[in-house]
Amino acid sequence: MSDEPTETPDAAEETGSVVDRTQRELPSWERVRESELFVVGATTVAVAVFPWLFSRAPVVSGVFRGYQDLATLILIWGIFAMGFNLLLGYTGLLSFGHAAFWGGAAYAAGVFSAQVSSSPILVILAGTSFAALSAWILGFISLRRGGIYFAILTLAFGQMAYYMALSPLAWITGGENGFTGVRIGALFGVFDLRYPVPMLDWLLGTWKYVLVGGVAVLCVAVANRILHSPYGMVFRAIRENDQRAEFVGLNVWRYKLMAFVISGAFAGVAGSLYTIYSAYVPLSSFYWTTSGEVVIMAVLGGVGSLFGPILGAGIYLYVENIVSGIQQLTLPFTGPNEWLTLVEEPVVLLDGFGAYWHLILGLVFVGVVVLFPRGIWGLLQDLGGALRRLGGSAVNRLGGGR
Amino acid sequence: MSVLAEVLTVLLNGLQQGAIYVLVAIGLSIILGTLKFVNFAHGALYLIGTYLGLLVTLEINVTDGKLADWGYTPIGLEWGFLPALIIVPILVFGVGLLMERFVARPFYDRPDTDQILLTFGLAIVIQEVFKILFGGQSYNFARPGWASGQVGLPIIGTFPEWRLYIIGITAAIVVLVYGLIEYTDFGLVVRAGTRDAEMVELLGIKLSRPYLMVFGVGAALAGVAGVVGGPLYAVNPNIGTEVLVPSFLVVVIGGVGSIAGAVLGGILIGETLAVMVAVAPQWSQVGIYVLAAVVLLARPQGLLGSEEVAP
Repeated sequence: MSDEPTETPDAAEETGSVVDRTQRELPSWERVRESELFVVGATTVAVAVFPWLFSRAPVVSGVFRGYQDLATLILIWGIFAMGFNLLLGYTGLLSFGHAAFWGGAAYAAGVFSAQVSSSPILVILAGTSFAALSAWILGFISLRRGGIYFAILTLAFGQMAYYMALSPLAWITGGENGFTGVRIGALFGVFDLRYPVPMLDWLLGTWKYVLVGGVAVLCVAVANRILHSPYGMVFRAIRENDQRAEFVGLNVWRYKLMAFVISGAFAGVAGSLYTIYSAYVPLSSFYWTTSGEVVIMAVLGGVGSLFGPILGAGIYLYVENIVSGIQQLTLPFTGPNEWLTLVEEPVVLLDGFGAYWHLILGLVFVGVVVLFPRGIWGLLQDLGGALRRLGGSAVNRLGGGR
Repeated sequence: MSVLAEVLTVLLNGLQQGAIYVLVAIGLSIILGTLKFVNFAHGALYLIGTYLGLLVTLEINVTDGKLADWGYTPIGLEWGFLPALIIVPILVFGVGLLMERFVARPFYDRPDTDQILLTFGLAIVIQEVFKILFGGQSYNFARPGWASGQVGLPIIGTFPEWRLYIIGITAAIVVLVYGLIEYTDFGLVVRAGTRDAEMVELLGIKLSRPYLMVFGVGAALAGVAGVVGGPLYAVNPNIGTEVLVPSFLVVVIGGVGSIAGAVLGGILIGETLAVMVAVAPQWSQVGIYVLAAVVLLARPQGLLGSEEVAP
């Protein structure tokens, strides 16, 4: 671990907020923004409005071209990335093996649903416990060496989980075909997940989204509580300088292990939700690319902030699912299918654009690592700060000011 | 076939399998040991080596990807295997120099995690470039005609000639690199830098050039591994990452910065794979990870690694 402190804003800034844009003029804004009630409330509103904005709202959804299922998927991966970031962004440990917990929970949830109970809540609990347990075991081995070794070892043991599922455990996991026997019952025995929410289906869509959204809000609340507890402070202390934390008398190894387990549990929640979402567990959920994806999401969105990784997950999945489908890159507002057409004839910039989506993500990722260590969320925060300063100086000049 | 012959065949197969990992792992290990730089893009260097080797050795029909769209098909020099074995390492050496200068050097002072993230991103970019150029399909890297037959060995009977060549080529290269590190002035500086870079610089020895060389040599080794190992498997854009994970395990098992450790680790991993394939094929891939876990629990610095060198 390097002794250098990484560029990260302090705790007050980190809680971030989803509704930055809408409620900036509130009095004593800084204090309101920090409060747990606000963070959870804002997240709830954002989660509730998101699928409508993304896939059904006039004009906006025409720009996004999103769809309901993608909104659900973004939340699931958002939970995964957020949990991953508890480890990378707050403890400074880079794991390349989180596929083991995502996939492990997905399989555990699937098997549990087929063998024991199909209640979604119990399925999530089963998957999460399994992930937390495996995180404890893998963490115990991987944390024997710090820094570079940790990344390599988690990568290795994640791959080990993949190969375990591929052949020795194929009688449980279904091997290459994935696990197909998932049975998902109704939520609380009443609400069938496939059915639309009565009265609110224009906003929320199906019960499936309600379940995923509810769990997402819960996860944000838990993560927020952890980060603002003394326990979370220790995580940050370890990231800044683990030797000094050790000298203060903290059992650094134990805290690192706990951070790993917590992070694995979040990955488990997400993995179980994925099983419920797709009613199928592909073998690829164990493959190291899954770990790689969550690394990209977290870093792209911004490590060291609670909501950055969720934004990163959204961007990644959006590019993967929507942008990759674009055959030709055209200038905005040209061509027949735009919501606002200036020129009827499309102006093509790049043909076969969709095929480049992975390369583009890779390049953007490298760019973010080199230029913006705090990710896109950090960039937005900086921009917001600059705007506020600009606004503040304007107010001062007018004789006002705080 | 007698039991003895079978055992020897398995062991020889393991040696061949390990040889590729040794070549990749030596580069990883000396770069990690000397420069304290984690190169997740090392697999991409292997990938570059394999495709370059393919293009120098043969002429291939590109049916998918941009090269086909642009009309560069068939493509390739058809110079044969031996020229490839000489040209490709030189080219990949150059790639390594560029990588050290423009990727690694600006990141020496950044935290480990940033180095990993950067090289990981770079690996994705390189892999995607190859996927776009050559398509996602697999190419067949045909073995050279003079080495594609079977050879008769005492006790064992027949054995694929190519595998013996791999073992031989690897052994020769390992000896070469070992000599370079152990018996030259350059190697002395590198070894000293591995121990204590600050002290070496205080003594008035500039380390930036040896560092550049180390990175280049490591890259060239990955390139050679790509050429030598190319004919063993189908060539597609994913081979780089497939070889990277076992090679990391080799470094972990052998110990960072130690060439002998990389050789020992590579052989252990290769043999484990070969024996497991023969005994319990289902568990063959899992076995190497168990081996790594056991070594790590018993000897965290690796079998031949020293406590001080390990980052």
